[in-house]
Amino acid sequence: MERLILDNDIKLICKKTENTPRIALTCFVDIKEKENTPGVYVMLNRLFTQGTKTRTAEQIAYEIEKNALDIYSEMKSDYWKFSLLCLKEDFETAVELLSDMMQNSTLETFNKELEKLRGETIASLDSPTVKARDEFVRNLYQNHQYGHSGILILENIENITKEDVSKAYEDIFKPAQKVFSVVGDIAKEEAKAILEKYFANLQSKEEEPKHVKVELNGRKVVKIPKKDANQAQIYQGWFVPGLKSKDSAAISVLNTILGSSGLSSRLFLELRDKKGLAYTVRSIYTKLRQIGDFRVYIATEPKNIKVSLEGFKIEIDRLKCELVSEKELYDAKNNIIGKVEFLTETNLQKAGTMAAYEIEGLGFDYLSKWLEDIKKVSAQDVMDVANRYLNENYVLTILAPQEAMKEI
Amino acid sequence: MIYQNKTEVEYPYLTKPVEIYTMPSGHKIVLAHKEGGLVNISTWVKTGSINEDDKINGISHFLEHLMFKGTHKHKAGEFDKTLEGYGAIVNAATWKDYTFYYVTLPKGPDDKYFNEAIELHADMMLDPILPEDELGEPFEFGKQEPKQKRERLVVIEEIRMRKDQPGTRVYNALNNAMYTSHPYKRDVIGTPDIISSVPQSVVMDYYKKFYTPNNMTTIVVGEFDSEKILKKIAKEFDFKGRENCEPLIYNIDVPQNTPKYIELRGHLNTAFMMFGYLGPKAADLKNAVGLDIVNMVLGDGASSRLYQRLIEQAEEKIFNHVGTDFYQFRDGGNFFLDANFEPDKKDRAIELVKKEIQHILDEKVTPEELQKAKKKLKVAYASTSETVSDIADNIGFYMTVLGELEKANEYNKIVEAISAEEVQEIAQRYLDLSKVTIAVMLPE
Repeated sequence: MERLILDNDIKLICKKTENTPRIALTCFVDIKEKENTPGVYVMLNRLFTQGTKTRTAEQIAYEIEKNALDIYSEMKSDYWKFSLLCLKEDFETAVELLSDMMQNSTLETFNKELEKLRGETIASLDSPTVKARDEFVRNLYQNHQYGHSGILILENIENITKEDVSKAYEDIFKPAQKVFSVVGDIAKEEAKAILEKYFANLQSKEEEPKHVKVELNGRKVVKIPKKDANQAQIYQGWFVPGLKSKDSAAISVLNTILGSSGLSSRLFLELRDKKGLAYTVRSIYTKLRQIGDFRVYIATEPKNIKVSLEGFKIEIDRLKCELVSEKELYDAKNNIIGKVEFLTETNLQKAGTMAAYEIEGLGFDYLSKWLEDIKKVSAQDVMDVANRYLNENYVLTILAPQEAMKEI
Repeated sequence: MIYQNKTEVEYPYLTKPVEIYTMPSGHKIVLAHKEGGLVNISTWVKTGSINEDDKINGISHFLEHLMFKGTHKHKAGEFDKTLEGYGAIVNAATWKDYTFYYVTLPKGPDDKYFNEAIELHADMMLDPILPEDELGEPFEFGKQEPKQKRERLVVIEEIRMRKDQPGTRVYNALNNAMYTSHPYKRDVIGTPDIISSVPQSVVMDYYKKFYTPNNMTTIVVGEFDSEKILKKIAKEFDFKGRENCEPLIYNIDVPQNTPKYIELRGHLNTAFMMFGYLGPKAADLKNAVGLDIVNMVLGDGASSRLYQRLIEQAEEKIFNHVGTDFYQFRDGGNFFLDANFEPDKKDRAIELVKKEIQHILDEKVTPEELQKAKKKLKVAYASTSETVSDIADNIGFYMTVLGELEKANEYNKIVEAISAEEVQEIAQRYLDLSKVTIAVMLPE
């Protein structure tokens, strides 16, 4: 792994992995400023594939698929993430195409793309799981940019204008800080030369992010009636500190013990194996730049809502009142350390991880430092973070038939 | 020699050929070398809903859940807890032709985790107890409250989950209507009535009947010494003279001569639709490759005909999504088209999709389309070499559904050679509109 600097001062992280089939490239483009209307950044993201000064959307799609390239962009909470995956023989062709998409987007098909966004969002919300999660995120993060969920975007879709998107492209995207990473069977010099050739005019400016404060005071219950739901979808979630918090390692260990380690977590054992309440039950820890959230989730027969919530409470109270055993702590840490190998197994995973940490200012090799923090977590640390964050200020979102939610 | 037969098969981007050993018991062991710290150990069993009838529908999948509930050596939960404590990902999956169990994990200091994973995995595969108290007492679903809320209820929750997904409901309705008699017509997960009431003894009998040496292939992918690992697997997979199972043969369904149409209703805002066709057996590679090419041209990706014509260049907005897929099954694959559209434009949506299918029957794919499809298939195959799990899954699929890994290389040669004329002939053979089954789900 090595950090190189392109001629235009943009950072490039490189790692050579021999005898692997495809080269991976990622480019992270930082978002330092909140969008004025929910959906503007999503629309910009969609329009990258919809035409440039010299290529139509159809030509872009054809060129991508003719060479069996994987090129796509994703709208993340704190950045746009571009990913590229291709055989070595196609690397330069793919980089040229990506460069054109990022730098010469015309945004001309705005109206059509807006209608596609509307249709796809409505269709995705026909899944109760998606709808419950979307409502949870919106209600937890409120007016913060992290809460710009599908439902909120739909509510504001008439207010998204081409001018807003164009302004975001010129004023936010183009000057934003950018980090590239390339992982695969390619020499770093070759990767650097190709990027310098096609991204010579790309700008990148480091800026301090504008933080927006968000908090919860008390319990907020959101009920989403769905009359024919076979299962209740339940999310309960709390704010926790963001990515760079010193508590991040302890919360990760807590998450593993409570509900993210697969078949052996406490929620899985107690609510699924012993009580037969669910097929899916877990906890999820999301670390974002400004703030994070910790949530527990279960999908269960609607008549089990109350007993599921009691089950959540019992397990969370246990974490607050009883020190986890040394064996459980040791296993949880080992689980995290082992899982890191999975998260960095493919070239694309390696590229994505390195660039993500680099753009956050943590350094591309941060993962190894974070694992050292994991090793230092004590049972007391786990109990402390449980008490500090899993308190009475939370959002509870339930999607179920109306009558099943009466007592909640 | 501890094995009866050994063959070697080249595999893309691996430094050594894949070694396939047939043991005297009939058990197959496959070793694939991929350098790195992670290993994958899996066992694929040649059974799934293909070996079920109306009385035991869902038993393959229920057994898969129960295999994790302890052995004579290790009580329920020990397997998961031990291996997840090493950072392992442990799971299993059941489908129509197969059930497979896997562990992916770091090898650990001096291969400690690796060796222990092999021991635990073999123990689980060969000596499951299926304890009554882990199943929970049988009960009459919808009429009785279960006395013990255990694994039966977990699977019933999984069934509920699937009922809430509109796409899954449409697929199940379509799948059921596409077949007349073949066991593929049933939903792999079964029904709450069966899962709530099936006795433990019936599940155990099913295990004994199908989890036989000749029905199992154990695959190890990672960096290791072949001789040592072969010996280890052979030692741990001691079947103790367990009898083999003769493969069951089923009558293959013949496609209908007139289209079928099913309509469902749900609490929705958009409409879901699937077209389905019966296809060739998985081992019939020429026809399978032809349908893979049709799939790429017609409905895979943003440059596909369906996406371009029905979404990107559509004169009126009807579709939110449209694409195709081709599933391979031992006794005959399925070609699918799935779409999401505006509910009040159902007739127009069906008409437009039919028009595109007719077009691919009437005219050959263009040289550019053919070249693009071939490249995509080549890269898709290369991408199966990226992780130990991907390699294991691909090997397991070929060994279990097609019968041999050599078919993978044969497949790639056919992809290179197939012509536009042949693709058209294959499309005409399988995708005639008189043979289609259509399922649509609309808002109530």
